[in-house]
Amino acid sequence: MRRDTQNVLLVLLGGALVKIAATDLYLRYVKPGNRWYLLAAGTVILLLAVVSLVRDARLVRSAPATSATPAGHGTVAGLGAPATVGTLAGHHHEHREPHSPWLLILPVLAIFLVAPPALGADSVQRAAPGNSVSTSSDPGFPPLPTGGVPELRLSDFVARAVWDGSSGTGGSSGSGGSGGAGGSGGSGAGGAGGLAGRDVTLTGFVVHRAGAAELARLVITCCAADARPMVVRMTDAPDVPSGTWLRVRARLLPGSATVADGYTPSVRVADAVAIPEPAEAYEY
Amino acid sequence: MSTVPSPTSSPTDAAPARTAVTRRSTSRLRVTSLQVFCAVLGAALLLRGQLAEALDGSAVRIAATVFVAVCVQALPFLVLGVLLSGLIAAFVSPAALGRLLPRRAALAVPMAGLAGAVLPGCECASVPVARRLIGQGLPDSAALAFLLAAPAINPVVLVATAVAFPGEPGMVLARFSGSLATAVVMGWLWNRFGRAEWIAERVRRRVHPGSGGARWWVFLDTARHDLVAAGGFLVLGGLTSAVLNVAVPSSWLTGLAGHLVLGIVVMALLAVVLALCSEADAFVAASLGALPLLPRLVFLVVGPAVDVKLFALQSGTFGRGFALRFAPTTLLVATVCGTAAGLLALGGAR
Repeated sequence: MRRDTQNVLLVLLGGALVKIAATDLYLRYVKPGNRWYLLAAGTVILLLAVVSLVRDARLVRSAPATSATPAGHGTVAGLGAPATVGTLAGHHHEHREPHSPWLLILPVLAIFLVAPPALGADSVQRAAPGNSVSTSSDPGFPPLPTGGVPELRLSDFVARAVWDGSSGTGGSSGSGGSGGAGGSGGSGAGGAGGLAGRDVTLTGFVVHRAGAAELARLVITCCAADARPMVVRMTDAPDVPSGTWLRVRARLLPGSATVADGYTPSVRVADAVAIPEPAEAYEY
Repeated sequence: MSTVPSPTSSPTDAAPARTAVTRRSTSRLRVTSLQVFCAVLGAALLLRGQLAEALDGSAVRIAATVFVAVCVQALPFLVLGVLLSGLIAAFVSPAALGRLLPRRAALAVPMAGLAGAVLPGCECASVPVARRLIGQGLPDSAALAFLLAAPAINPVVLVATAVAFPGEPGMVLARFSGSLATAVVMGWLWNRFGRAEWIAERVRRRVHPGSGGARWWVFLDTARHDLVAAGGFLVLGGLTSAVLNVAVPSSWLTGLAGHLVLGIVVMALLAVVLALCSEADAFVAASLGALPLLPRLVFLVVGPAVDVKLFALQSGTFGRGFALRFAPTTLLVATVCGTAAGLLALGGAR
């Protein structure tokens, strides 16, 4: 690939990074904290490419008679790119020029032309049922705010429900002393998760799977490649297709979210409102 | 800027007349890559509708998102890596580099491995840096130890591991020692059995930084060149990992709970095909609660040392012959080191 083509491609690549970081698009792919990395990287790529383009153009103009002055200090070939694979425009190398830089066009096209959507119901449907949670230690939840219908992230809700469920049934947590709900079916008011008898507000998208309606979110740590689903099974759910985003008022059904149901809490939905997909589609 | 900095004594300087002639004779017939590029761009714009339609199947759509995500997540780290590579090329003389490490390679390897702790970032940052270290004359074995250690034992990754496994402080120690052991063993193995010619010749082409302002042009050219060279392979790796991410069935993981050895093997392979960033893999491992800790530790030790994205980057940077020998050996060594570190630091197969 010629050096000027490489530079044009780099301009597009840097532009693509700046574009998604300047809008909310980047939230479809990475966590919010990556925004500044993306802006910085995009700017650096743009600078490298533009400086290189300008410099090459000047060199070509200032040394038009390249072939006539083989010993000239300003020969095109003398512009030593340090690892001379891509030297100046049109300079044909004896050894094969790599074609791999062409691949850089793929993310550029994907971002500018398609901008793939955030992962959603499809990903949950392809994943194994149930929630992957660790129940090894006391998570030390802060108490829920008293009064009202507190807003909880779906992953927090699941973690609290699993804790309540496992400590309530004397299950896998091993530290049966906490919560003190043993024997009362997990619905004791003292459950460490604090969900018993409380209405909470949850936001997620609907997934229909195995005859049940679930409210789901995907949790990412770095980027969408490491997304893992968090799901809550809904009873009395509104009849909406998979992928619909809902904001629901719901209450945990006691005794759910155990090993047997794959740590999936069940909730009774009191109220549900369809909402547009939020810019932050993932939880972090 | 009337004079042209000529920082390298590139081999082409010897025969500029010849290259100029070649250029003349071919430029008339040859379709330039810029023209091809414009054609591809134009075609993509015209077929935009069909392109979006083709991406409508759920698997393809997921793969497209994962592909962009891997690229977008990794590019800032690659940029960091190529900037460092440029700085090394322009400002660090081989002599200074030589003074940094003990003369005896057997000692230099663990030192270089430990030095990896200072480069915070994903695998993608360490590949261009390691390449430049070799180019500037660091012993291969030390540079390779650095390459393997940097993404696995830097503070960011260790803190992430501690956060992901709150009840298991042993995991941090086990990950650190397993990954460092992998890097050091690989360095020593290279010392003993490695051959210089396995690494592509272009890697060793030394940069002569010149002086004054010329150094900055060397910096710029090196960074730009490394970005273009490695970027393509990063994209290839991202593409592979996106396809595998969709293609590998989740049933791989169910039913592994009772089989320790099988669990270790499957988790090692999973680390290779998923190609997660080393700051995120601990959280994924933590979420696989059904498995014992040992296979999950192996997942964490193997992932930063060898995966499909790294393999693509390595074969692009150091040559295919290198990657084909290095990657499988690393997989084996990392699996063994991870298992051993787990047995020691976690106190048995938990």
